[in-house]
Amino acid sequence: MAATTLSGSGSAASRRRGAVIGLTAPAYIWLALTVLLPLSAMLYFSFLTVAPIGARVAEWTLGNYLDYFRKGFYLTLTGRSLMLGLWVTGLCLLLGFPAALALAKYVRGRWREALFLLVVLPFWSNALVRTFSWTMVLRTDGMVDDILQAVFPGLPHLDIMFTFTAVVIGLVHSFLPYMILTCYISLQAIDDSLLEAARSLGAAGPTVFRRILLPLSLPGILAGTILIFVPVIGSFMEPRILGGRGGFMLGNVIEDQFTVVFNWPMGAALSFILLAIVLLILAACYPLLRRNLQGLA
Amino acid sequence: MNGNSDRRGSSRRNFARYLIAGTLALAVGGLATGRAAAAKDLHVLNWQGYGTDEAWATKLFEERTGCKVVHDYFNSEEEMLTKLRTNPGTYDVVLINSSYTQGAAKEGLIQAIDTSKITNWKDLAPKLRDSPYLNTNGKTYGLSWVWGVTSMAYNTDDIKTKPDSIQALWDPAYAGKVGWRDDPVESVAFGAIATGQDPNNPADLDKVKQKLLALKPQLKTFWSSEDEWNKHLQGGDFEIATYWSGSAARSKKAFHLPVEFVVPKEGAIGWFDGLSIAANAPNLDCATKFLDFMVSPEFYVKWDTTVGAPASANDAANAQLPADAFNRVVMGQPGMQERLFYMAPLTDEQRKQFTELWETVKTDLGK
Amino acid sequence: MSRLWPLALKTYLGLTLAFLYLPIAVMILMAFNESPLYKLPVVWDTIWFVKLAGNDRLLTASAHSIVLALANTGVATALGTMAAFAFARYQFRGKTLLQILLFPPITIPWLIIGTSMLVLFFWVGIGRGLHSLLLGHVALSIPYVVVVVGARLKTFGPVYEEAAATLGATPWQAFWRISAPLMAPGVIAAALFAFAVSFDQFVISYFLAPPGWTTLPVEIYSAIRKGFTPEINAISTIIILVSMGLMLIFARLYRFGGER
Repeated sequence: MAATTLSGSGSAASRRRGAVIGLTAPAYIWLALTVLLPLSAMLYFSFLTVAPIGARVAEWTLGNYLDYFRKGFYLTLTGRSLMLGLWVTGLCLLLGFPAALALAKYVRGRWREALFLLVVLPFWSNALVRTFSWTMVLRTDGMVDDILQAVFPGLPHLDIMFTFTAVVIGLVHSFLPYMILTCYISLQAIDDSLLEAARSLGAAGPTVFRRILLPLSLPGILAGTILIFVPVIGSFMEPRILGGRGGFMLGNVIEDQFTVVFNWPMGAALSFILLAIVLLILAACYPLLRRNLQGLA
Repeated sequence: MNGNSDRRGSSRRNFARYLIAGTLALAVGGLATGRAAAAKDLHVLNWQGYGTDEAWATKLFEERTGCKVVHDYFNSEEEMLTKLRTNPGTYDVVLINSSYTQGAAKEGLIQAIDTSKITNWKDLAPKLRDSPYLNTNGKTYGLSWVWGVTSMAYNTDDIKTKPDSIQALWDPAYAGKVGWRDDPVESVAFGAIATGQDPNNPADLDKVKQKLLALKPQLKTFWSSEDEWNKHLQGGDFEIATYWSGSAARSKKAFHLPVEFVVPKEGAIGWFDGLSIAANAPNLDCATKFLDFMVSPEFYVKWDTTVGAPASANDAANAQLPADAFNRVVMGQPGMQERLFYMAPLTDEQRKQFTELWETVKTDLGK
Repeated sequence: MSRLWPLALKTYLGLTLAFLYLPIAVMILMAFNESPLYKLPVVWDTIWFVKLAGNDRLLTASAHSIVLALANTGVATALGTMAAFAFARYQFRGKTLLQILLFPPITIPWLIIGTSMLVLFFWVGIGRGLHSLLLGHVALSIPYVVVVVGARLKTFGPVYEEAAATLGATPWQAFWRISAPLMAPGVIAAALFAFAVSFDQFVISYFLAPPGWTTLPVEIYSAIRKGFTPEINAISTIIILVSMGLMLIFARLYRFGGER
């Protein structure tokens, strides 16, 4: 059954229209005034030579956007950030989905609620302190290294600190709860009787998984993917602290335009390019997803 | 199901009611606190933990003058400028590095200081006090406060002989053991000094770039704060790194790390910070008094001996430090002043150029 | 094989939780370590908690963070849930555009958003203050709430509400008695996200808070320059342990499972 449409006339249609407006208006008026309007100002800045603050005279230019393609290093950094996004999102999916499945379908009683809340708790610790804690765990002669040395004395020392790997570990840790939670809320809504019925009709485990669990939990998987991939490609703190030489990402360059040099137009342009990339990826994946989500309302 | 959802429904309604009431209360309370700012508040904008917010100092100042010190912090010079630009009439005292003072004055963000009201004026070292970076058209826009050297420091437990050349940072013996500050202007300056050029105006930027790219086998990691530096050194992440003089003093004294600071023969970067008064400062009188207090020996000696500080621009204050103090021993070395290249003001264009160079280098270093 | 499966999955869940709490455990451990530079081996000492008790600035900042996060959670969850409900249950023109408009707040780095808010609020005259802070925090949380609640609503579809309608329930009744309980885990997850977004939000608070009024993340990030001490570990430890306690009590008393 498709969702209610708003075409047609009559009091029912206008009541529905009123409902939609009433439901979406508060959030979107808030967003428009606080985020979208300021960002339009930034969009305007991105086409100027300099931010028109103080007595500065700015001129129109496409230079900021063109520079992105002209100067090779921006593209290299974008590639690096996208790679980071793919790795972190992929790992979060692989590691998070089974955990969510365990929580939603195999843990019973009060424990389920308690564990669900416990998954969220690491979120509430400060990201900077958490990241520094990772340096202690991952560095050579750090905690993991010490344990490995104690158990396997001849092993060469751990050398993953200040590498891409360390950044991935740190980010996976930060974002894993998103995936676990979004998958959980989807999985948990799947009726157990559906699964029992499938099994009683002779379906084996993998089939049940592939044809019932996975499609029905797709909204949760999708939500998690979006909430992880998008922020990760713009991240700069974990890369900076854990990445050492290799920790320079697109997010760092954008930050530099505001904290190291007064070049807001460039920073704004890079941000909107980032947004465009995200929307392009979404648009490219949309046909694939639409088919899968068709059956669900 | 009915009974449960009834209870849940009504408890949810109550919850909603409490939430709305709570939010309104917060909003009202918020607006109320907003207006509670006292008339005699002195608003200071500075790095956190950089002298002006020492609890004993602000308390003493308030007792003497009745001006209550309220702090706001920034994490980079550009952020300081952003805050000044978007908060006119909010701040009184601002810490501005001398390479930014001219630009801030030209933009109208700070006002001239009435130096006749600064009782410690005569004791300030003329080289810094009268520097063209802080003074324009006979007016003083920044009161020279502290100064220091950006150079390198090393772990005395790991490196036994003191290096005397800046090329030590490129020495293969220290491959994979070098730390570097992630800052474009500083990096270009180091590259320039290491290739025999003027750090404020390198003639051959390409040579600087190549020199910086040569750091690839050397660098273990970047650092950008004193705390990170200390943790890295202690964790054995690097054995030699670029560093600031005042911070090296603090690492040694307050954190008991085996650190030694080096001013190499090729030269090092000199910097000095000035205290300025924002344009349209709401409390000009308190601001001027605060500036005077900050450059006084009374404040400085206690600051350096209890916490550790960069060298003072006030010669009389420096002279009152204990004989073995870092700032007297290391900073007072003969011939050292001559080897310093003081950071000059840069135009936005130059900064953009250096930033782009450094970003290109960093991208390559990470490959 | 199929009998081992539940045990295997539950063990895996345990391992995942261990991974999630590893740095938390390290953070708590360092709060009790005498060294201010996280030097190992650990020398047991409660000095940082003692210092924390006298650190008014940090304590006030933490209280501010909590209050702000609670206000943010309430408003953002309410606004976001309503919008998510509209997206999931209605088809209308402009729906795709509205969904796309959720992306800028989560894509564009918060530094840009914060700076642009600062500039715009200054031009318009709203300025800095608690109101600006709340405006900013809620705006950044709304997309998370919409996406998370939306995922939940997508999964169980409108069939239950339609069934209720055919049995004579008004839309209002259908909502409170059917949709709301089924949505509950999604709404609660969204609320937890909103709280986390606000509680650890540095940039907006840094730019828009009134001078002299700080939050915990601002204190921490500003402190790393010169003044970072494990008092920060101490306060983080207290917050985590208190939250854990509150959560476990909440889970015991209130079932929000939706069904079963």
